[in-house]
Amino acid sequence: MTPQVTPFDHRPDRALGAALRAALTGADEPAFVTRVLARVGRPLPYWEVLASWSRAGITAAAATGLIATFLVGRAAASSTPDPDFLASAATASARRLVAAPRPPDPSVVLAGIEDR
Amino acid sequence: MTPTEPQPPREAARITAETDADLVGRTLAGDRSAFGVLVERYSASVRRVARAVLGDPDDADDAAQDALLAALVKLRQYDPQRPFGPWLMRVVANAATDRRRRRTVRRVDPLDGNIVAGGPAPDVEMQRRALGQQLREALAALPERRRIAVVLFDVEGYSHAEIGRILGVPEGTVRSEVFHARRALRALLKDWKEEEA
Repeated sequence: MTPQVTPFDHRPDRALGAALRAALTGADEPAFVTRVLARVGRPLPYWEVLASWSRAGITAAAATGLIATFLVGRAAASSTPDPDFLASAATASARRLVAAPRPPDPSVVLAGIEDR
Repeated sequence: MTPTEPQPPREAARITAETDADLVGRTLAGDRSAFGVLVERYSASVRRVARAVLGDPDDADDAAQDALLAALVKLRQYDPQRPFGPWLMRVVANAATDRRRRRTVRRVDPLDGNIVAGGPAPDVEMQRRALGQQLREALAALPERRRIAVVLFDVEGYSHAEIGRILGVPEGTVRSEVFHARRALRALLKDWKEEEA
């Protein structure tokens, strides 16, 4: 056993390790291996299958959400009115109103009515 | 070997020369016998770590089995560029911790009557069993992370850095946990050796 105990000792303590190994090692190792491998051959319960999918599912959902947000945001930012629709506006105020990316200011609406 | 180098469990070298990454690759390709080799290679370590967390040997074996099956299900998440042992030990530590949280009543191995009563003069096997019992009890009295850290370091031979990745804590925290665990367990071992002398 190492006589000096310090937090910086990076060497495994062989005596303590051997004692712990003897204290923790389970009996009948081959039987345990056989038990695990027999279980491997059986189909997995549904919750384990779902659990195995969850990570991929969450990643895919997050990626889809990000892509959708990006596309919607880009479409909103770059939206230009249909030229035919724009041409249908009879006055300059009406054209401004139709082309505006934001909701119209009431004064613009009122100005359009006044023009008529 | 420096502390940061991967240190595979001692059992690992004994079973076939095929690397863990090769065996994982074969398992993912559908060869279940390759997974069998991995189970044989790591089952002793897996059971010890589970027992360090849970105490009760039956609970520990159930947790060890759950962990090995979970590892098989999650095998595609393993990065073959990294050592397999620490990845598996992380799965084991999580499985054992989950089981411990779910367990409502903690079962502890009963003390051997002869040891408690001081009975007839014990032979070597009795002394060995007594020490094992005392070590398990002393280990059970430690915080969970400390228990896992000292077993992974002194029994399984993983480095502080690897244990840090297994437990998700900084390397310095692992050093501290191993230090405190050793101090408690070495005192027990020293007392036992003095009694033996």
